[in-house]
Amino acid sequence: MEFLSEVSTVALIQTIFWFLAGIISFYFSIGNARIWTSISLGFFLIFISQAYLLAPWSDYPRLAAIHYIIGTISIMVMTHGFQEYYVFSRTLEVGGSKWLVYLACLVVILLSTLFVFINPEPTYNVLRNIRMIENANWVFLSLINIDMIRKIYMQVRDSVIANGFIAFGIVFVCIFLWKGSELYLQVFCWDNDWSLFMQSIGAYHNIDYPGRVNFSLLVNQVAGLLSGLSVGGTFIYLFRLLR
Amino acid sequence: MFLLPKGNPLYENVAAAKVKLPEILDKLKNGGFTGYLNFLFPSANVTLFFEGGKLISTMCEQGSKNTSGFEALTELCSQIVAGDGSLSVYRLSRDLVMGLHALLHGEVLYKAQELKLINVKGLLEKMKARKLNGCLRIYTEDRSALIFYKEGSPLGFFHDGASEIETSATESQKIAGLPGAKVDILSTKSADELMHMDLLEMVNIDKIWETTRARHEAQVQQQYKEAQERDKRHQDAKLLELEDDLKEVAAAYLGKMGRALIEKELADCGGRIALLDHDRITKFLAGVERSSKLLTSISKLKEMTELLQKEIGRLSM
Repeated sequence: MEFLSEVSTVALIQTIFWFLAGIISFYFSIGNARIWTSISLGFFLIFISQAYLLAPWSDYPRLAAIHYIIGTISIMVMTHGFQEYYVFSRTLEVGGSKWLVYLACLVVILLSTLFVFINPEPTYNVLRNIRMIENANWVFLSLINIDMIRKIYMQVRDSVIANGFIAFGIVFVCIFLWKGSELYLQVFCWDNDWSLFMQSIGAYHNIDYPGRVNFSLLVNQVAGLLSGLSVGGTFIYLFRLLR
Repeated sequence: MFLLPKGNPLYENVAAAKVKLPEILDKLKNGGFTGYLNFLFPSANVTLFFEGGKLISTMCEQGSKNTSGFEALTELCSQIVAGDGSLSVYRLSRDLVMGLHALLHGEVLYKAQELKLINVKGLLEKMKARKLNGCLRIYTEDRSALIFYKEGSPLGFFHDGASEIETSATESQKIAGLPGAKVDILSTKSADELMHMDLLEMVNIDKIWETTRARHEAQVQQQYKEAQERDKRHQDAKLLELEDDLKEVAAAYLGKMGRALIEKELADCGGRIALLDHDRITKFLAGVERSSKLLTSISKLKEMTELLQKEIGRLSM
């Protein structure tokens, strides 16, 4: 189909945006308070999850599976960070250490990698399942994060950081649209992976609602770009704000 | 206040607070002391007369109120334990002690008789004939002189401004010659008779002393407790004021969470009393700084911390 060739170009641009956003957020995580570490590390991991597109062995299924799993870990780490910030905004309690956050993420990623390697090589269908799980996590946790950010904003609205949380809210709306549109396509088997899978088994696959599919793809691409841009912008804004 | 002849000073201006009354009285008793002890306090003057180691009389002057005996001793104990007084000890002859006793406690034979209206010569002869023991006081409004008598014969003369007994009657005669001069005649028992009296035998000085000290200590404790409570209330008010100031500073930089943050960090450090302890102040500021990093910029945080430190520093000034 015609749109499939466009997806990879947009995805490449998205990955570059995520790369920039990842660098900024990782740098931000180093010099800031502990709770920011979880949030910014989560955003940095999005870049890792997207970077498989740039890898020369991106067709290697185990590597693709690891990238999808890292994507899932990234939203979970982020959500954990926002949860901690919310707890902080209610109780003013700050605990833990930065190194523990880095170490815990590394251990989870290594265990996930181990899990991928001790199991049979994922087929296209398995990879698609993993990706669906990743997207489902992103969609629901984005909604939870939007609500949590709203609650945090209510607590900190008269402090300097308040506008930063509005920016995070925008980020998660973009992410929700980005991942949600992809999940929508996957749930109805209108996604590219499903087409590839059907082609690989020589089955006929017809999309009955090209309008919806094209709109969803457009939303996916635009929201994906905006997500990367908004994350980069938010961290630059926060960086200047907290300087 | 009566001015008394100093005789032979044994001690002068010893801090009364250092005196343990029962001990010194015991020492004087055992030493057969004759003379008097003069305790001078800001609000009282106490004189104890000894004859041959016996405490024959006491006199306490407090403003216009004079007391003697047990009352004077009780007051003396109270004044000593309260501090701020001095003690002088003077040795005198037995006869002079008798004369002084007459002056303070003697029977008044004549009171405020104008000298120009009486026959002085006849009076002196009468005193001699009656072998009077005592004291004759001649005085005007601003001057006075004492003549001590033993069995009707003068022992010595003492007047204002002198510290010793004199043998010359010149000064006394001068005062007697002044217009409006009056005379009092006071008699007392003989020195031998006075020896039969001993207040130390009649009064349990140890018990008075211990009771007074215990009462004084209780009073001091009570005052100390009250002062401590007053200080604590004052300190609490200052600390509360400081906490409010710190909250205002934090609110200006961190919004409403700033107030809650100050409250929480102070509670974690043991309450606002922590603002008096250097180590706990450091811990408190570190806690505020750690949480504030999540709410404001580094530059504003630095500014806020400096202001908080300044506010806390004002407390120690």
